[in-house]
Amino acid sequence: MAPHPISEPVVKKDHDLKMSGRALYAADHYPEGLLFAAALRSPHARARILKVTPPELPPGHIYADHRDIPGPNEIPIVNCDTPVLAVDAVQYVGEPILVMAGPDERAVRKLLSRVRVDYEVLEPELDVKTAGTTYCDYNFGRGDVDKAMAEADKTYDEEFETFYQEQAYIEPQGLVVRWEEGKIIARGSMQCPYYVHEALVHAFALPEDKVRVVQDVTGGGFGGKEDFPSNLACLAALCAMKAGGRPVGLFLGRAEDMECSTKRHPSVSRYRAAVKNGRLTALDIDVVFNAGAYTTLTGVVLLRGVASCVGVYKVDNLRVRGRGVKTNTVPCGAYRGFGAPQTVFAVEMFMGHIAGDLGLDPLDFKIAHLAAQGDLTSTSGRYHHPVPLPAMIEDAVKNSGYREKRELCKRQDGRLRRGVGLSLWFHGAGFAGTGERDFIKARVRLVKSADGRVEALASNTDIGQGLKTTFAKIVAHELGIPLDRVTACSPDTDRCPNSGPTVASRSIMTVGELFRRAAVKLREGWADGVEQVFEDDYVQPDYIIPYDYDRCRGDAYATYSWAACVVELEVDLLTGVHRVLGVWGCFDAGTPVDRTILTGQMEGGLLQGIGYSSMEQMKYDRAGRIRNKTFSDYLIPTAMDVPLIKVTLHVEKFPEGPYGAKGAGELPLPGVPAAYLSALEQAMGGIPVRHAPFSAEETLAAVMEAGK
Amino acid sequence: MVSGLHPRRLNEALAAMADPGVIALAGGTDLMVGETETERRFLYLHNVREMRGLRETPDHLVVGAATTFTEVLESPLAPPLLKEAVSGVASPAVRNAGTVGGNVANGSPKADSALVLMVVDAVLLIASARGERLLPVADFYLGGKKVDLASDELIVEIRLPKSRLAPHYYCKVGGRRALAISRLSFAGLFRQERGRIRHLAAAFGAVTDVIFRDRCLESMLVGLEIPEAKKLRQDFLAAYGAALVPTSGRVSKEYRRSVALNLLGDFLTVFGV
Repeated sequence: MAPHPISEPVVKKDHDLKMSGRALYAADHYPEGLLFAAALRSPHARARILKVTPPELPPGHIYADHRDIPGPNEIPIVNCDTPVLAVDAVQYVGEPILVMAGPDERAVRKLLSRVRVDYEVLEPELDVKTAGTTYCDYNFGRGDVDKAMAEADKTYDEEFETFYQEQAYIEPQGLVVRWEEGKIIARGSMQCPYYVHEALVHAFALPEDKVRVVQDVTGGGFGGKEDFPSNLACLAALCAMKAGGRPVGLFLGRAEDMECSTKRHPSVSRYRAAVKNGRLTALDIDVVFNAGAYTTLTGVVLLRGVASCVGVYKVDNLRVRGRGVKTNTVPCGAYRGFGAPQTVFAVEMFMGHIAGDLGLDPLDFKIAHLAAQGDLTSTSGRYHHPVPLPAMIEDAVKNSGYREKRELCKRQDGRLRRGVGLSLWFHGAGFAGTGERDFIKARVRLVKSADGRVEALASNTDIGQGLKTTFAKIVAHELGIPLDRVTACSPDTDRCPNSGPTVASRSIMTVGELFRRAAVKLREGWADGVEQVFEDDYVQPDYIIPYDYDRCRGDAYATYSWAACVVELEVDLLTGVHRVLGVWGCFDAGTPVDRTILTGQMEGGLLQGIGYSSMEQMKYDRAGRIRNKTFSDYLIPTAMDVPLIKVTLHVEKFPEGPYGAKGAGELPLPGVPAAYLSALEQAMGGIPVRHAPFSAEETLAAVMEAGK
Repeated sequence: MVSGLHPRRLNEALAAMADPGVIALAGGTDLMVGETETERRFLYLHNVREMRGLRETPDHLVVGAATTFTEVLESPLAPPLLKEAVSGVASPAVRNAGTVGGNVANGSPKADSALVLMVVDAVLLIASARGERLLPVADFYLGGKKVDLASDELIVEIRLPKSRLAPHYYCKVGGRRALAISRLSFAGLFRQERGRIRHLAAAFGAVTDVIFRDRCLESMLVGLEIPEAKKLRQDFLAAYGAALVPTSGRVSKEYRRSVALNLLGDFLTVFGV
């Protein structure tokens, strides 16, 4: 099958701007009269606030606390339990209590250090296993798990744990907000301008047209700038409200950003299985995500977690429980994969462990249980479209030499030991359930000027993933005009329709298709020499089995993207240090809208997955504090840590996506830890791994204990 | 912040150092990480002729204190052990600016080049306007990042005795493959003549508050024939196990001890003991 012409790579629209260093990020704009805002944040994981005594305010400085908020003291993120500023209690280390602003950032911070807060410190809840508050509790399944367990030849029971992962975008969070004639104008680093818009409208009790949000060039998001910019925008807007028209900038330093912004949810998953005649007959899964102090996105992150918890396998008897539990820690949020990496890790390791116990290669056992088109998903929706995994597995196995290496690694000695591991996974493409139809109602607009140039207007942001380029490519291709005649704008809520948030790998698949259809309308109605406007709105495909949120039943996703990944690594038995030798990934995200951009996304996600498997260690201590909040303590892979990465693209076209494209951005990450840590298990001579990341120190302790 | 003094000769630099308001900067890659808001003036040492480059004397290899890591890597005079350790320092940009003298003066037990200087028994030439003195690098470290360097003194050069440049063993354990502070590092030297151990040195970085070296333990095996040394191997390792009391930090002390003893054992194995 010949590749689609749209896949042909182009120079990215923002290439020159960024490569020349001329791109201006949120903190690069120094508007006239800029004031710097900073928040006073809680040093305690749980405390009552007894009294706040601010210092005397020098002239030109601003002080604001919860009493200044004109509307409800709430940030709407699915629910409204997150306060803009703490009132009489703090729930996590880093929770904002008040905010101050002034012309000199250092002076503002000094002033903040002179605020006296009297606390009654309380015992924080830090352990998900004993914590008392459950934010969400999903229960679903099918068949008869208890009967399958009773009739099994053998049953298995294992617990898997994962820890934080920090998004580590290179540009810390930041915004500039000003009030102009009763209107808030906020601009900065963000993924979802309409989320920020909604938050400001809510907390400042303003009509929608009295808030304007503009995205600046954004230096990476990975989910970390999905909901959190709403918090910062409200803090900056509070100061701006008192600043007499002067702009107020709120820019987090790295340590503050790492301490108080969202991260990937830590998880504990218990997996039980029944096996009869060498086949998996039942899975009983209990997943617990550590939500942190407020609900934020936990409900939807966990939904993806449980929707992915069976992996790519077919199982007739299934029981799933998923809980999001409150602890007195920083609220967790979105990070590439959004709940799937935790459960994909668990199910892939578990399948490998069962296979090992049965004396089978993990791959053979996995292949024997692969789901196919028409089979039921975990939530008893359907895989409506073909499942291309068999061909993708063949590709990944051939490119990596998985089977030969797996065999060779069974017999080895000496200081350096090798291992090879493989994992399979899907990524549910787009927003969960019927959210696109019921909540988002995406709309895009094409504006054709009289001279025949076309501007594509939507609220989806280019955060490095190339959206300005790929949106423009779709429109230019459909219109049959040169790419340089089409521009995709930086979102501005005053100009751009709400096409939904930049999340869930939905931008190309869902919004890109709206642009394609709008472009069809424009092409058919094209009139030279006049300005024309065409819009298109989301329509849910007919085949979808509506998702029942209460029963967790139906199509959690419109379709699925697929992945097969092999990791080969080497372990130094004297130091426990791992060295990745190669990563081979075969990905199906449908038709690439740009082969170079898509391959870059896959490589970057693989590397984040490698970090999540090994060096990206972050936990909180017994006081609920995150101690490593700099890049010298929280290590992410450097260029020197990039192994041989070989990405191949499989194309299973999605009929509802533009030219067959489907969700891509999150696809490369979720299964990497399982491939990596399976390889580590083999290198360690079969020692089982049940948590991620797994450090060099843990590796050495494991091999020394086993006497290898 | 960029204001400062740029001497070209050592006597100018030493004269400047007499002013307590002056702070020596030899690369600045550690200095700049800390508080940069200082009233003190920086004394940039990278142009001081007497402090630059590598040269040989009959008995020593001399490394100017303001010699950058990149210059060490590119020098035909630098011994392989020093090059190996220096090649693992941070990143190319940091290696272009960072200097051997700065690495020593910083006082960190994690300094990659200082580990080499310790294991080869390097001697520091330290000078001030008051005069100069020679100090074995081992005596320079006073513990807890304190060093034997008066406020008006500069390390001018580092002398590596050629007689100590024996076949080596080296390993650095970092959290990743670049831009990684050592979690533990080890350098060993071993020379035998006709089956008899003539020289043995073992230094451990990032394990205690100063680079660890114990000449008394080393001497357990020196002078022995290989088969005799083999018999003492377990006792030797056990003695180090007792003497090494690691600190915990980014990794636990148990991990540091295990890795240290594993590498020491492998060092012996590699050299046939």
